[in-house]
Amino acid sequence: MRQFGVIYRFELKGYMKNKIFVGVTLFLVLALGVLLFFPRIAGLFSGDGDAPADEDRPVMLLAGQGQDVQNAFAAAFPDYEVRPASPDDVQERITAGQAECAFVLDGLARYTYYVNDLSLYDTNTEVADEVLGDLCRLAAMTDSGLSPEQAADILSLQVEHSLQALGTDQGENFFYTYIMIFALYMVILLYGQMVSTGVATEKSSRAMEVLVTSARPTAMMFGKVLAACTAGLVQLVAVFGSALLFYRINRAHWGGGIIDLFFDMPPALLGYMLLFFLLGFFLYAFLFGAVGSLANKVEDLNTSTMPVILLFVAGFMLVVFSMSSGSIDNTLMKVCSYVPFTAPMAMFTRIAMSVVPWYEIAISSAVLVCSVVLTGILSAKIYRVGVLLYGTTPKLGSVLRSLRRA
Amino acid sequence: MILSLEDIHKSFGPKKVLTGVGFQAQGGRAFGLLGRNGAGKTTALRILMGVFPPDSGRVLVDGAPIDHSRVTLGYLPEERGLYPKKKIFEQLVYFAQLKGMDAGPARAAVDHWLERLDMARYRDKRLDTLSKGNQQKIQLITALAHDPQIIILDEPFSGLDPVNAMLLKDVVKEQIARGKTVLFSSHQMSYIEEFCDSIAILRDGRVVLEGDLRAIKRDYPRDRLVIRSEQAAAIAARYGDACAPLESGELLLQLPSPEAKGEIMRTLTERYDIDEVRVFEPTLGDIFVQYAGDGEKEASGL
Repeated sequence: MRQFGVIYRFELKGYMKNKIFVGVTLFLVLALGVLLFFPRIAGLFSGDGDAPADEDRPVMLLAGQGQDVQNAFAAAFPDYEVRPASPDDVQERITAGQAECAFVLDGLARYTYYVNDLSLYDTNTEVADEVLGDLCRLAAMTDSGLSPEQAADILSLQVEHSLQALGTDQGENFFYTYIMIFALYMVILLYGQMVSTGVATEKSSRAMEVLVTSARPTAMMFGKVLAACTAGLVQLVAVFGSALLFYRINRAHWGGGIIDLFFDMPPALLGYMLLFFLLGFFLYAFLFGAVGSLANKVEDLNTSTMPVILLFVAGFMLVVFSMSSGSIDNTLMKVCSYVPFTAPMAMFTRIAMSVVPWYEIAISSAVLVCSVVLTGILSAKIYRVGVLLYGTTPKLGSVLRSLRRA
Repeated sequence: MILSLEDIHKSFGPKKVLTGVGFQAQGGRAFGLLGRNGAGKTTALRILMGVFPPDSGRVLVDGAPIDHSRVTLGYLPEERGLYPKKKIFEQLVYFAQLKGMDAGPARAAVDHWLERLDMARYRDKRLDTLSKGNQQKIQLITALAHDPQIIILDEPFSGLDPVNAMLLKDVVKEQIARGKTVLFSSHQMSYIEEFCDSIAILRDGRVVLEGDLRAIKRDYPRDRLVIRSEQAAAIAARYGDACAPLESGELLLQLPSPEAKGEIMRTLTERYDIDEVRVFEPTLGDIFVQYAGDGEKEASGL
């Protein structure tokens, strides 16, 4: 236990002093800060008024109809200064830069739109279609005897609807579940590989020769994995915590939308994320550690860790595809949420995006806990045998055979 | 303290590495474990250090099975290496703590040894900025800082310049004088001869020779003469196959028996112009080649 503490502190200090670790964490926090403070900062520069001042607005020319059409256009295009014009000189004025665009109307049902450079995002014609369509319908209705007020009422009729999801609203959950799954994926893969690189470096630098005579392999393995886990958790908390903090500070400046959906996740889900992060992390970090002890050189690691990475990526892909297909509780996902290597992500996604009975969560967690303990013991044994084997990278089978004999 | 290995057997898979290995090392004396590459020295040392258990046999300290939580060991492995990218002081303290020291005493001990080995100025440098010899001195500290009862040094002198070798010799002598059990494993016979009171030679996983070095030399059959003479050619012609030239230009004469020594010496001095004739006394190197070597060829090539 005492050795474990010494190893844990030494390894953790290694992470905290690692320039890349500190750099990446700071960068992410800063980037999130800039992103989440952006509306507030942008607001400072643009002043208080929502609509730009008159003289700043681009000019839109309107030719061929009376005052009521011009009023309707002015109301429909608040970003433009709508001016009357004669149909003959609009092209000239646009090319001369006096106006940005022009509508030349030929009656209410036909017009030509002039613009200098047609932007990809130009939606003016769609707005104009709607305005003119409404005017046509209004004219038709008043012609057939309705008062303009009655006609306006009919045209502005809106269907009201409300939505009540009785289980989980997948539309609302999709965004934050996706981000959390992705964070889980990144952190487990990143720190798992750091564990295997650490072990392989000790082996190739021969520091192992002294280490195996000084410390128990279980203490070595558990110390390393726990230190990596702590470092990963610190990074997650720093990044997500600062995001939440920045968001709270700037909440008023964000006008709802998708970002609110993300930060309004239920607290219980955070608890589940922590649970499945820890279990998934330990499971994979032990595997990565064992694989690292079998590699001969750090350069050999890529090939040695490939099966573990593939297993993990396959689980991730399955989850992401199931999320976007909309059927979260499909049979494959259900099976995978009990298979230890896919359970952390599969079960977490199911909890986040559908309704999972408590006993299923309990069974999945229990399977994971048992797998973590077994993998931990097994990987410490592989480690003990693996670290002293130099030469060609041994096959897993032969290592397991030598374990049985040992 | 008396450290002994008794009848140790160990196999890795189908390969038998140690067969009935046993030897004894005493506190306050240095013990030399010799053998060619692959003879099983490192495996024997690892079993002694408890890295893995033997298939059968025992490791005893003062007659009782070794308890690794109580007996402290220091080890300088032949394959050197620590953390290349970490600061020297930091990793030395780490290793001392792994061996059971508290942080405070560990720091003090590491500082003491850095001073003692003239390495204090590298205290806060990264290990990979040091020369190979200096890295080896740093590694030696991992074996000594926690003041272990048993010190195992595998090829401690390789890569050291004469000044550092002298420094290391002083340190080793100091440890022996303090009553530590020092185990040497080396191919540099001159150092073993200088330090070790007793030796064991391993060959193919078996102990082929073990005991007090002086007694071994004394018991070595005194049945060969070394002759220095201007008339070497004539002497060689007279004794034929029994006579072989040495690299030094001297002749080595195999006697029919140790008792024939006086008679043949007389004959030689009477008939030839002899500069020097003496009984051949083997060096540890000679003994090593004879016992650890690959059979007859090396044994007769003395």
